[in-house]
Amino acid sequence: MATAIPSIACLGVIGRNNNPLHVAIFPSYDPVTNNFAPVRTPLQFSLLLSSTLDVFELRARHNAATGVGLSGDFGLLHAVDERLAAYGFETNTGTKFVVLVDMRGRRIDGAIAAGLVDIKEKRLGAVAVGLREGEMKPVFKAMQTAYVKLLQNPFFDPDEHAPPAGHGGKKITSRKFADDMRRIGETWTPGVTNL
Amino acid sequence: MMSASKASRLGEEIWKTRIDKVNSELVVLTYGTIVAQLCKDFDSDYVEVNKQLDKMGYNIGLRLIEDYLAKSNTMRRCANFRETAEMIAKVGFKIFLNITPTITNWTSDSKQFSLVFDENPLADFVELPDDGRAQDELWFSNILCGVLRGALEMVQMQVEAHFISDVLRGNDTTEMRISLIRYIDDELPPEDD
Repeated sequence: MATAIPSIACLGVIGRNNNPLHVAIFPSYDPVTNNFAPVRTPLQFSLLLSSTLDVFELRARHNAATGVGLSGDFGLLHAVDERLAAYGFETNTGTKFVVLVDMRGRRIDGAIAAGLVDIKEKRLGAVAVGLREGEMKPVFKAMQTAYVKLLQNPFFDPDEHAPPAGHGGKKITSRKFADDMRRIGETWTPGVTNL
Repeated sequence: MMSASKASRLGEEIWKTRIDKVNSELVVLTYGTIVAQLCKDFDSDYVEVNKQLDKMGYNIGLRLIEDYLAKSNTMRRCANFRETAEMIAKVGFKIFLNITPTITNWTSDSKQFSLVFDENPLADFVELPDDGRAQDELWFSNILCGVLRGALEMVQMQVEAHFISDVLRGNDTTEMRISLIRYIDDELPPEDD
C-alpha cells in the first residue's frame, strides 16, 4: 500500500496589522475518491490562519522576555489535528508567513508519478512519519524571497497593504507573487532544500 | 573602423577598471520610485509620463556623453552609424548599466536599427500597474530613449528613439528602435545676407 507523505495545504501571508495579505490553498490527495481536493474550505483555512496569530503574539512576547531572537522561524505553532499542522515565520517588520502542512497530503507512488519526488531520495522512508526540525526553512526562505521581490516593485505600495497606524490593509494583487506562492506550495516535499 | 569584438573588449575593460559601482537595488528602487511618482503626479496619464521620462533622459544624456567620452578615451569619431551602434551597445550600455543589448534589424540604408535588451536592470522586479492601460501605454524604461537622444545630439547626431516592445507589457522581447535623422555637424551657421 502506498504511504502518505506531507504536503503543503495552505500558504498564508499576514501583514503587520494582522490583516490577510495573501492566501494560497493547495489540494491534497484524497484516498477515498482517488482525487486531489483541498482538505478544508477557504473559510476554514482563513480561520486556521487567524488562530495562529495568538500563538505568534505569545511566542513574540516570550521571545522578547527571554531575549532570544525577536523574529524569524517560529517553528511549529500548533498541530490542528492529526493531519494539519501550522508552522510560522515572522519578519522584523511584523509580516508573518504561515504554512499549513497536511501530513498525508501526497501518496509516495503518486508523488513519484507526478515527478515531484526523486526516486533516489532515500530519506523518504524516514520523513513519512513526520516532519523534522528545519524542514520548513526552505519554504519560509522562498516565501521571504518572493515577498522581497514584491516589495521591489515600485508600483507596489506597502503602506496600502498595512497602514502604519491603523487596521486592515488591502490584499496583495500581484500575479507574480501569486505565481511564486503557487510554485512554492506545489513543489515542496519533505527533503527539498531549495525552492 | 572598430570591430564589434574590439568594442566589447573595450567596454569590458572600462567596466572593470574605470567604473565606480553602486548597489543595483539602489538604482532599481530609485528609478522605479521616479516612474511610480510620475504616474501619480500625472494621474496615470502614461503618455505624459513617457514624455517626462524621455525629457529627463535627454538631460542625463547631454551630461553623460562627456563622461562616456572621457572614460572610453575615444578621441575619434565613429566612421558610420553602424559603428555608432556598436559603441552604444557594447561600450555605452556596458559601462553604465553592465548590459550589452543586441543590435539587430538594420534597415538597408543603415539608418535605423533595434537594440534588443535581454536584461534590463531598470525593470528588475517591476510589474506594471494592473489598471488596463499601463500595459498598453507606459514605456517603463523610456528614460533610456532620452539618454540616447541627448547623448548623440551632443556628438552631432540627431536621432529618434522609442521602444516598440517591452517584456513588462507581456511582449517576448524588449526592443528599442533608433533612427538617425541627420548629422548636424556639417551645418554652417546661418549667413547674414
